[in-house]
Amino acid sequence: MKADKLKSRYTPKEQADSFVFRNKLTPKQSEDAATQLSEARKKVREQMTESQVLYAKVKQLRFQMEDYLKSEKYNQEFSFAYFLKKYIRLGYKIQKNFAKDIEVPTSELSSVLNSGRPPGKKMIVRLELHSNNAIPAVSWYRLWEKEKEYELKTDKALRKQEEKHVQNRLVFDF
Amino acid sequence: MQTVTHIKEASEIDVVIERVREEDFKKMTKARFFFNWKTEKENEVYKLTLAGTDEILGVMSLVNYPGEQRCQINLLSVSKENRGKNKIYAGIAGNLIAYACRESIKLYGADACVSLHPKTELKAHYIEQYGMMDAGMQVFVEGINLFRLLEKYKI
Repeated sequence: MKADKLKSRYTPKEQADSFVFRNKLTPKQSEDAATQLSEARKKVREQMTESQVLYAKVKQLRFQMEDYLKSEKYNQEFSFAYFLKKYIRLGYKIQKNFAKDIEVPTSELSSVLNSGRPPGKKMIVRLELHSNNAIPAVSWYRLWEKEKEYELKTDKALRKQEEKHVQNRLVFDF
Repeated sequence: MQTVTHIKEASEIDVVIERVREEDFKKMTKARFFFNWKTEKENEVYKLTLAGTDEILGVMSLVNYPGEQRCQINLLSVSKENRGKNKIYAGIAGNLIAYACRESIKLYGADACVSLHPKTELKAHYIEQYGMMDAGMQVFVEGINLFRLLEKYKI
């Protein structure tokens, strides 16, 4: 079906609900379109409030977390602590103030951020509440879980250490 | 989770949007998705499927412009059976456009923008249906209207 046949079959509203068409522009048209868009965007940006900017940045962090969680690869840098530090920096200059707002002792927050201490369910739920549900508790939990899963898979020393505690291992003949 | 509406049953059905794989291009025929999608391989092409199925209901090609902090929807089509008065599911295009907003936020944070070059006769409808704004030859969504699309489509 060609584009002109679409016009007879679907109303403009139905077309907009089904398609975005390619639009080939001349270099001059492209340049004009870019200038027009840049001017229109400038007006929108000027009207953005601080809370809208914060919303966008929190959502950005959430989507980055989700994409990392979806990927099969493990990245040592993308730890629970890495994302939590980024989250805190969006709204706080001092970690202590954040600890106060989620009623967690500063030393405990510091251990989670710097020494790999488990965050615990309560902290994870408080993170969700603090973000006004913009980042769900499950996303924070999965980050922690992904880190622990990798450690468990790759910890050869632990396997060697635990060997002496296992007797009568299953044997499979095939 | 994002959903589309099954019109006859008036029920919400979960959908998944993800990058198209090489083998998907065979299914994305001109008969079903109107355009030749193989020409879009160099862009980021996304498909919308019902959760738990392989059936593609909609496809979208995105181009990123990092220098301008925006994503452009180059091409979008819903499947033939989901167009016009007799469509089975509603909300396929809206979900794809909202997903473009997600990608733009992920890349550009507060500066995120999604734009497209509309056919003149469709411009008003993109503005009305998706809260896009008029920028002459293009329409775009940015700021609060972009956030509203994310909320509307449960992203």
